[in-house]
Amino acid sequence: MRLCFVFLQKEFAVRQEVIILAEATAIRTPVSNAVEINELLRRYGVKFGIYKNGVFKEQLFPFDPIPRIITAEDFKSIEKGLIQRVDALNKFLFDIYHEKNIIKDNVIPEDFVYISSGYLPQCEGISPVHDIYSHISGIDLVQGKDNEWYILEDNLRIPSGASYPLIARELTRVASPSAFTENDIVDNRNYAKLLKDTMDYVNCGGINAILTPGRYNAAYFEHSYLAELTGSVLVQNDELFVEDNILYHKTYTGGKAKIGALYRRISDEYLDPLTFEPSSLIGIPNLMEAYRSGNVAIINAPGNGVADDKGIYYFVPKMIKYYLGEEPILKNAPTYLPFYDEDREYVLENLGKLVIKDVAEAGVYGVVFGSDLSEEKLEEFKNTILREPRRFIAQEVIDFLDLPILDNGEQVMRKADLRAFVLSGATTRVWASGLTRFSRNPDSFVVNSSQGGGFKDTWVLSR
Amino acid sequence: MKKLNFCFSTKLTFDNYVREHSFALRCIPPESAAQHILSCELDIVPFVSTKQTVDAFGNNVITGYLKGEHRFLDFEVKGCAEIDSTAQKRDYMPCYLYQSAYTKPDAALKEFHHRISMTCTESEPYSRALCFCEALSQLMTYDKQATDTKTTAAEAFELKRGVCQDYSHILLSVLRLDGIACRYIAGLASCDGETHAWVEIWDGCCWRGIDPTNNCAVNDEYLILSQGRDFGDCAVDRGVMFGAYTKQLQLITSTLSANGYY
Repeated sequence: MRLCFVFLQKEFAVRQEVIILAEATAIRTPVSNAVEINELLRRYGVKFGIYKNGVFKEQLFPFDPIPRIITAEDFKSIEKGLIQRVDALNKFLFDIYHEKNIIKDNVIPEDFVYISSGYLPQCEGISPVHDIYSHISGIDLVQGKDNEWYILEDNLRIPSGASYPLIARELTRVASPSAFTENDIVDNRNYAKLLKDTMDYVNCGGINAILTPGRYNAAYFEHSYLAELTGSVLVQNDELFVEDNILYHKTYTGGKAKIGALYRRISDEYLDPLTFEPSSLIGIPNLMEAYRSGNVAIINAPGNGVADDKGIYYFVPKMIKYYLGEEPILKNAPTYLPFYDEDREYVLENLGKLVIKDVAEAGVYGVVFGSDLSEEKLEEFKNTILREPRRFIAQEVIDFLDLPILDNGEQVMRKADLRAFVLSGATTRVWASGLTRFSRNPDSFVVNSSQGGGFKDTWVLSR
Repeated sequence: MKKLNFCFSTKLTFDNYVREHSFALRCIPPESAAQHILSCELDIVPFVSTKQTVDAFGNNVITGYLKGEHRFLDFEVKGCAEIDSTAQKRDYMPCYLYQSAYTKPDAALKEFHHRISMTCTESEPYSRALCFCEALSQLMTYDKQATDTKTTAAEAFELKRGVCQDYSHILLSVLRLDGIACRYIAGLASCDGETHAWVEIWDGCCWRGIDPTNNCAVNDEYLILSQGRDFGDCAVDRGVMFGAYTKQLQLITSTLSANGYY
């Protein structure tokens, strides 16, 4: 894919000016030409695919021109907090797949680790290059009305989304160049370099490759875009094979090229049909043996799901103290584990105002707001919690700070979160940007791209 | 203690030519306190370069990649091992305490566990396992046609029929319901002309074997090929290939013979 801007600019007679209200004080020149930017995004195929009722549909991911603005000071503390958190999570993953000291020292009850579907015993004893498990972490945060940032969840498997603000910024530069000459915005084009540095740092000798399940995947645009930006080969499984426990790419000339780092964008369970799900058609047979033998780095490492599990989230602040001996800089949303007597009492008394999450379910599934339940259902739920206290976590509903978005030319306030990207290589670094997603629906607390929301650019100010 | 000669061979024949055939074999018996491998040879036809690793469960894994077209894959492993089933093996893993893909109990299995745990008066894990094994053998009928390699514990229990793999999965499921850590063993036994499967129970300090199919303790005439949470971790051979083939035929033969007593 090549980006070419030359012809497009003149085609759009309609130029929609966006006026950003006084709240965003630091902004001198607003982003103009929102319609044009969205049209460019459409042309470049910035889409995500979803399956609805068994039918594959590609949807545009609507871009809202009003950026989220993070001041330099705010970003500094978020950055420190994220680095601390991701470093602790990486140490936790190494510990769980080796000595398990955090369990032996009774910081985390072992059940929470071993019943997690993300824990893969097949990865026991494997040491990834430089002991890094989560190379690319997508940490979701929200800002509360108290201006405090809270961690909503950690995504350490294959977090997606970095490409959207990246290309939106690129196109905005073209369509509205003055926004960037007039404001002190930290350049976010270094994501490709951060990612490439990370791949190079763990590369076991050979080329870098990005493994995609194919063009029907929700994030295919991202896979191809990141491959181009990092100079990696974009591959599907039928172009790869493992011979003598070395991963090779079949080259176009009929030869083979050794792959030293594989940024895979398919889930653990489909990665290797000879180790995991035998029916997987998108995996690479014996990839795990090549990985175990130290011949290829897998980015992110298999087995990371145990650390971003809903049940484990509760323990991340404890991990930070345990592994780093530091106080957590960023807060978790206040969370309770009915597994503990004290917490259970509180949860049962306050169920009506809490949000309950089933740790065995993924994503937004198994998330219940107590306020949505009738008296009768509340009682029923209390009994379920009493019967299976380990299955649930309960959280206070955070009152998010709403962000302005443009809806048919009018500015309205909506819920939004921020996915920050943290890259772990020689050092741990936070990308000075991120994916801000908002919900279309004014009453919705769920910010999820598959439910009609959109995204914004995230501007980190340089001062 | 016994010395056993073992020979195990598999012939895979395909209906049509296949290519780009990747395989992983767990057929080299692992060395342990209870099992000293005195000699072991592996032959694979057609010729293919292989590598050996040890997986998370302690199994020897032989991997290979046959690029060109072929219609069969044969392998034979033979050698001699010294078996002492009373020796203490301590390679514990926490995952053995939890249900796995094949052993997830349904309501009927939970009910069965509830019933047999009421009548069993033993308290030690191994004695309880023997107790459950006895109850299981009264309920099940050995039947080679009823199940296949994909059958789960719950499915086999509903049929009340199955082979050593099914007996083992059901026993693992009820033991884990009982809070006893246990693992699946794939191996060779003098009573079985193919591969056999049985169960090991963690008694708090080491592993002890029970053969649920024959409702007996494991003795010095059992050779372990692989171990894991269930069949999924232990398959003696797994493979993936390209081609227009529709069916594969697998012939397995094994012999285990005593070569001397101590």
